[in-house]
Amino acid sequence: MKIISKNPAIVGLFLPLILAVGFVSGVSRLSADEAKKTTLDCGECHTCENPSAENLCLKPCPSLFMLQEHAKHTVTEAPDSMLLKILVNEYGPVRFNHKLHARMSDMDKGCAECHHYSPEGRIPPCGECHGGEANPANLRQPSLKGAYHRQCLSCHREWSHSTACAVCHIPLGAESLTGNVKDPTDIIGIPHPLITEPVKRVYYTPYDRGPMVTFYHKEHIDLFGLRCVDCHQKENCVFCHDLQKPARLKKSQEEVHAICSGCHGTHKCSKCHDKKEKPAFSHADTGWPLSRFHRGADCRACHPTGKRISKLNKECIGCHAGWNQETFAHAVVGLQLDEIHIEIECADCHVDRKFENKPVCSGCHDDGRDPRKNPPGKKI
Amino acid sequence: MGLDRRDFFKIVTAGSASMLAGEVKAGANGGNHRFSDNFGVLVDTAICIGCRKCEWGCEQANSLAFRDKSEYEDKSVFENQRRPVPDKYTVVNTFEKPLDPANPYYLKVQCMHCNHPACVSACIVGALEKKTEGPVTYDPWKCMGCRYCMVACPFQVPAYEYAEPLTPQVRKCGFCYDKLKDGKKPGCVEACPNEALTFGKRGDLLELAHNRIIQNPEKYVSHVYGEYEAGGTSWMYLAGVEFEKTELPVIGSEPIPEITESIQHGIFKAFVPPLALYGLLALAMHTFREKQAEKGDNHE
Amino acid sequence: MNNHQIPAPVKAVYFTRGARILALIAGIGMLAYFYRMIVGLTIANINDQYPWGIWIAIDVATGVALAAGGFTTAALAHIFHRERYHSLVRPALLTAMLGYTFVVIGLLADLGRYYNVWHPVLPSMWQGNSVLFEVGMCVTIYLTVLYIEFLPIVVERFKGKVDLPKPLAGLNKIIELSLSIADATLNKLISVFIIAGVVLSFLHQSSLGTLMIIAPTKMHPLWYSAVSPLFFLLSAIAVGFPMVIFESLLASRSFKLKPEIDILSSLAKMIPFFLGIYLGAKFIDLTLRGAWPYLLDGSVESFVFLIELGLGAVLPIILLLNDRIRNSFGGLLAASALVIFGVAMNRINVFLVAYNPLYAEKPYLPSIYEIAVTIGLIALLILVYRAIVMIFPVISVPPSDGSNLVDRTEGSLVEVRR
Repeated sequence: MKIISKNPAIVGLFLPLILAVGFVSGVSRLSADEAKKTTLDCGECHTCENPSAENLCLKPCPSLFMLQEHAKHTVTEAPDSMLLKILVNEYGPVRFNHKLHARMSDMDKGCAECHHYSPEGRIPPCGECHGGEANPANLRQPSLKGAYHRQCLSCHREWSHSTACAVCHIPLGAESLTGNVKDPTDIIGIPHPLITEPVKRVYYTPYDRGPMVTFYHKEHIDLFGLRCVDCHQKENCVFCHDLQKPARLKKSQEEVHAICSGCHGTHKCSKCHDKKEKPAFSHADTGWPLSRFHRGADCRACHPTGKRISKLNKECIGCHAGWNQETFAHAVVGLQLDEIHIEIECADCHVDRKFENKPVCSGCHDDGRDPRKNPPGKKI
Repeated sequence: MGLDRRDFFKIVTAGSASMLAGEVKAGANGGNHRFSDNFGVLVDTAICIGCRKCEWGCEQANSLAFRDKSEYEDKSVFENQRRPVPDKYTVVNTFEKPLDPANPYYLKVQCMHCNHPACVSACIVGALEKKTEGPVTYDPWKCMGCRYCMVACPFQVPAYEYAEPLTPQVRKCGFCYDKLKDGKKPGCVEACPNEALTFGKRGDLLELAHNRIIQNPEKYVSHVYGEYEAGGTSWMYLAGVEFEKTELPVIGSEPIPEITESIQHGIFKAFVPPLALYGLLALAMHTFREKQAEKGDNHE
Repeated sequence: MNNHQIPAPVKAVYFTRGARILALIAGIGMLAYFYRMIVGLTIANINDQYPWGIWIAIDVATGVALAAGGFTTAALAHIFHRERYHSLVRPALLTAMLGYTFVVIGLLADLGRYYNVWHPVLPSMWQGNSVLFEVGMCVTIYLTVLYIEFLPIVVERFKGKVDLPKPLAGLNKIIELSLSIADATLNKLISVFIIAGVVLSFLHQSSLGTLMIIAPTKMHPLWYSAVSPLFFLLSAIAVGFPMVIFESLLASRSFKLKPEIDILSSLAKMIPFFLGIYLGAKFIDLTLRGAWPYLLDGSVESFVFLIELGLGAVLPIILLLNDRIRNSFGGLLAASALVIFGVAMNRINVFLVAYNPLYAEKPYLPSIYEIAVTIGLIALLILVYRAIVMIFPVISVPPSDGSNLVDRTEGSLVEVRR
């Protein structure tokens, strides 16, 4: 134990191994009764009554290293506003606008900005592991008070340059006057505007030949599937705010170009710049309106190099030459072929593999049946 | 000091022997581990936010002043580097954060509670005392006010009540010894909202400090100030920049009182040297007296 | 006792013009001293960074060094039995006794809780690791030894002559008895005390040099050395004889006595030897520590260091090796004054100039009160010395002026040439 305690590097290297061996050997040997004989308190590490090899139900807390796990969570999961009042004694509680902070964090590290442990499913609240008093047995783990203050103040003081308590804490007793609750977004005397996603933005630039840049914000999210952080990198509080300076609401020319050129390239100014407002991008303008199958596709699936595709005919096999009855899941068009039809060649119905034309049944059936009225499977 | 050095060599030889046997042991300055069970505090300047609540907590715990907490939110005090004074055992100062000058690092200053305190070694009447738990305490009733402790302190911490005409005291952080005895934490640690101050056993704190450095190499320089400085101190620091750039002095790893104590104990080893000198002089007196008497006789 | 030089109380007018000026300075100093005792240390320019000022550097450290004449002369005359120097023992003893007394008085001014000055005597507060504890104990015991060594002079002066006025006349017999007991015992025990005085001096003179070793990070490398105690001891030994010579010359001038140039000059012959050892040790130390570069860096410290050793050690060696200079009043006075200056400067340098504390906002300069107390104590010391040599048989008058002497046994005082 002495070796471990004196050399953290060794611990770092071998900890996973030690833990794994420890659990496997320990759990398989200890029956529940035997476990009760030990002086250890099971509840200190396990959440369930009877942990087993299959279900360890380990608590994330008593770890040598700060637990790091970041499953994908979205802003919508975040609670709107919460009143932190577990520790109230000297100061009043803190009204914490969780959603506002989540939105801001979405432009930086996301939930991980604050939550060092956000596993799949429910994210445990801070107080589940961090106790009211610092744990003398585990100096690495701050108390709830310390954890809260470290989270809040590390950012807040960066732009406010203040560590005044009243910025966050409601005066003692004031929280009972429900009608008089301080706006939780009001941290410097002005409520923070709600962070919204604009549909479109028109920017006026000093570029003579094309002063206007029209940016369809919503389109980039909905159509191109970008996340906030794909463009808004490291845009935490201090990016915009510093109480010793005016709020920084605009990005520099370089910063903006860097963001757009990450996808678009900057070689051609007229791509974004124009003398008038540009219309929203519509694939139909290229002479190729996107139908229901292509509408949802990732642009890059068809334009892997980001370049325009020219000289296309309208025949499906122009692109999808490799389709056959085995590789094409027919169900995507809304018709699950029955056992007989799923076996036959595509061209048996789709004459000359012209999928864009109406299929025929006459290749096999003489009764002149119509595939619409009498489908070869189940419509879904 | 002789004993210490013997201990040290014992540990070093034992250490190298066991290393040969394929076992890894703690490095040099093994003597430091004798202080692992002492209480200490780790000051993490990368976590400290300069709220100065430790100053408030200290003043409350030691009944130095009773100001409202909000008065400590005044940031203008950081314009000058402050030092502990008789009615302020601890002060927070700033030092530059190269990447973010608008948000500097903060450094809490107080008595370091050395493992081998120079002030205790210097004190003529034992008014300063190194407690086994770690604190260096002061007893004003013994003190005669010679201020040799202030000369000796390598961190220049003790302050003196020069303005007090008759009962001046040496004033410095006493690690809230009375609270410690009751199993409580010192006032400043209790008041720290950010837990930039971690109270615990010195050995555990060192482990914690090195753990933080290993986990966040970009956040800390690989140096725990106070691990070896002046033979090790109970209070230790972590920082994001080299400690040479802070106000903390650059100090070697030898205990400060080592030389004076070895000289003193050398001179007074079982009183042999003074008694030998006495004997020598008595012999000289006797010899020269005889010689003189002979001379005198010849002259007569 | 030497048969051709008889110590006797000097007969002179006490309040000469010089003494009046000294009395004025001493008076101002005493006012400052008592002011300090009432209002505290706030009147001194010491602070948390410079806790020690001239009260320690001059009143205590330099005071102890310059009182070294006591033990060096005692060793020379009593232990090594150089009988011709016996006439210098009593003045040197008186200087040492008064010197240490005033060291303690000066120290009291510097102590924040001066009323606790006796604490180191209590075994419950003994602190064996403290250099200062050793210095304190040695000085305390040595001061006692010095008073004991001085007792025979008191006995000699008053034995058989105790005649208190009427109301206290009853005590006459008791005092007379105790004087004779002291006389009888002291003669047998005085050697013990003389050797003890030398040993104690060796101990605390050197330990004064250990004091600042505890501040390795604050001391200038020119003075910071682990063998600093050796330097303090060697320089104390070296300054002992110059101090005796200096005083003797000044006293003879002040009391219009014929200076004992021949004795003083032969005493001065030894000074270059001791100074040489001191200089040599310093030289070796600077070389071993590789501290020479600091001497040429043009800093204030290097300049002061050069003056300290150049004017205070090298120059007097050169002067005293010259027979003509050594045998002249002026030459002896200048050379011994230079040695005293050098050693005093060394003490001030070690305790003040070399001490560069962290976080100091401005360098230490003594306040007007500190200067007043220090100079006032020196003036007072001279006045008390003057009074004692006029009351007690301390100064010996050379036999060439035998006409001025009346047989001591008849109890008359010395008649001094005007």
